[in-house]
This record gives sequence, structure tokens and C-alpha cells, in this order.
Amino acid sequence: MEELLNDVVPQEDLERFEKKYHHEQELDGEVSTETKFEYAFCLVRSRYTNDIRKGIMILEELARLHPDGRRDYIYYLAFGNARIKNYTEGLKYCRAFLEIESNDQVRSLEEYIKKQSDKEIAKGMAVAGGAALVLGGILAIAMAKNNRNRDK
Amino acid sequence: MTAAPYNYNYIFKYIIIGDMGVGKSCLLHQFTEKKFMANCPHTIGVEFGTRIIEVDDKKIKLQIWDTAGQERFRAVTRSYYRGAAGALMVYDITRRSTYNHLSSWLTDTRNLTNPSTVIFLIGNKSDLESTREVTYEEAKEFADENGLMFLEASAMTGQNVEEAFLETARKIYQNIQEGRLDLNASESGVQHRPSQPSRTSLSSEATNVKDQCSC
Ligand SMILES: Nc1nc2c(ncn2[C@@H]2O[C@H](COP(=O)(O)OP(=O)(O)OP(=O)(O)O)[C@@H](O)[C@H]2O)c(=O)[nH]1
Ligand SMILES: [Mg+2]
Repeated sequence: MEELLNDVVPQEDLERFEKKYHHEQELDGEVSTETKFEYAFCLVRSRYTNDIRKGIMILEELARLHPDGRRDYIYYLAFGNARIKNYTEGLKYCRAFLEIESNDQVRSLEEYIKKQSDKEIAKGMAVAGGAALVLGGILAIAMAKNNRNRDK
Repeated sequence: MTAAPYNYNYIFKYIIIGDMGVGKSCLLHQFTEKKFMANCPHTIGVEFGTRIIEVDDKKIKLQIWDTAGQERFRAVTRSYYRGAAGALMVYDITRRSTYNHLSSWLTDTRNLTNPSTVIFLIGNKSDLESTREVTYEEAKEFADENGLMFLEASAMTGQNVEEAFLETARKIYQNIQEGRLDLNASESGVQHRPSQPSRTSLSSEATNVKDQCSC
């Protein structure tokens, strides 16, 4: 799973499908569903967060308007969100998918996202733990001072 | 961080291609998990699997990209061909149309990979003899004409599945040994990993430092 998420789209492929997308837009004023999907598929595999966000926006629109390809769009919505560490959104899409269809490919993405988000939470706790220690230390000093004052 | 010694000497990149439903994902699953999936949904985009094998006492990590055969993924999955050391091209012996499309799959493979990429043709579902639509002889002739390795296999029974993946690796390894594959080329699909990296270089660095200190 990690390999899939770390894999980055070759720049020339991204550019090719981007060109196709803009070309259709200029020529016909609208872009075909296939071209939109191809472009979004490249965008969510980009190295750059902004590209991934753009891909997610296109996929969201596709998922809303085109029920026939929905399983593909929802999978790549989960995938794109996972790549920008939007784990909550990613999990939402996985669960929505799994409610409709039992699928090992989606289940392993879900497990991966869960593991990553647990890791983030653990990191958050470590920081909180650090803060607790610091604050605890300050409190202890204050209390020691208080005690001394009282002794006086 | 210290570089942990790799538990393999090489990485080979494989792709699996072919029409939808021919059994690409089942072949991969049989190879990595030794299990058959009877109700396997269509792959979305691409799936990934890995296994470490041994060729000639060398440990080789296979990184396998299993592409979706559905038409709408055809254009975008072409990115994955690049830098593949091995391509497993699969058709279904019980569906003639999947065999007829091979020349188009082969054209893509030749256009998008290196001349040294090993292409292995697999006629899958060999367990379904009674509904066969493509004979062994016919496919063998196609393979020979195009310089492909070839086996009929069954992801269901496991017959010839190991063989197909392993023989591809042996052929790639042989190409390396005979200098037909340039390890330094970025798209060879092969990475070499010294099994004990940095160990020796670290200790020699350490002695260098000591030498400098003592003067
Ligand atoms: N009898 C038999 N059935 C098989 C064999 N291999 C695969 N199948 C069945 O064929 C169907 C399709 O297999 P998949 O592995 O999903 O096919 P695929 O090539 O990955 O399809 P896409 O992901 O859509 O490209 C599944 O229902 C499998 O159970 C086999 O060797 N024998
Ligand atoms: Mg598949």
C-alpha cells in the first residue's frame, strides 16, 4: 500500500492529460467525463498538494454527476485524501465504498489510512505528553515556592 | 538513521497487463498469498504486490504492479509500464477476444518499455479445459514469432503460476549477467542493492577519522 501511495505520476503524463483537458475545454467549452477522470487520476498521484486538491475537486464533481463510474471516483477520492494526510475524509470514502461493495483493494487502503492516522494521533499524544511534563514541572516549582513561603 | 542492511540484492519491477477479467489480480494473489480469490472485483486503476524470491543464491524483491484491464484505465495505466524489467501479458484461454487483443497490448509494451524488458505471455484459466477457445499450439506460435516466453497457467489451481513469475526473473537476471541490461539506466526496472551496504565503508571511515586524530 505504501508503494502505491508514494508512487508519483511521471511529469510528462500529468502534462499530457492536462493538455488534453484544456484542449477540450477550449474546443468544445466542456470536457468529457473520460478526460476529466484521466486528468484527475494523474493529479491525485502528483508530488504537489495543490495538484492533489485539484484532482479531488474534479473527482468530487464526477462522483456527484456520474453514478456509473462512482466506485472508481470514490476509491481515488480516498486515495487522494490519504496522500495529503486528510485521513478522516479518506476513511469516510473507504467506508462509503465498503457499504456498497465488499472489496479487498479498498479494505487494504482503509487499513493503511487507519494505521497512518493512529500514528499521527500517537505523535499528537507524545506532544501532549511533553506539554503535560512541562506544565507539571512549572506547577511543581510553583508549589515548592508556595510551600517555602508558607514555611516562612 | 543508520542504513539497515537490505534483505535482498536486487529489486525487479514487473507489470501485469491484459484485458479485464483474464485473471491478472488472481495470478498476483496466487503468487504472493498462495490463495485463489473466487469472486474478485475489477481492479480500480492499479494494485500492488511484492514477494522476495531467490535466483542463483541472490535474493530478489519483486515489485509487481497489477493494472486494471477496464478500457477507461487504458490510457492512464500506461504510466506504469515505464521502467518495468518484466511484463506479464495475460489472456484468458476460454475467451478468444482476450487473445485477439494481445497484439495491441504487445504494441503498448514495446513502445513504453525498454528493448531489454522481458515479456512473458500467460494463457490463464488452463483449468477450464472444456470451454477452451484458444489452443496451446496457436498461442505458442504467436509467442515464438514475437520472441515472448510463454506458459499456460491457472490462478485457480496454481499450476505454472510460480514458474511464470520465476522464469521471468531468471531471464532478467541472465540479461544482467550477460550485460544486456544496463543497471545504471534509470528505466531498466532493476535496482541493485549491495547486501551489506555502508558496513565496510563506515568502518573504513572510522579508521580514517582515527588516523587523522592521532597526528
Ligand atoms: N476458473 C478460473 N477462474 C479464474 C482464474 N483466474 C481468475 N479467475 C476468475 O476470473 C475472474 C476475473 O479475475 P481477476 O483476477 O479479477 O481478473 P483481472 O484480469 O484482474 O481483471 P481486471 O482487474 O478487471 O483487469 C474472477 O472471478 C476470478 O475468480 C483461473 O485460473 N481459473
Ligand atoms: Mg484485476
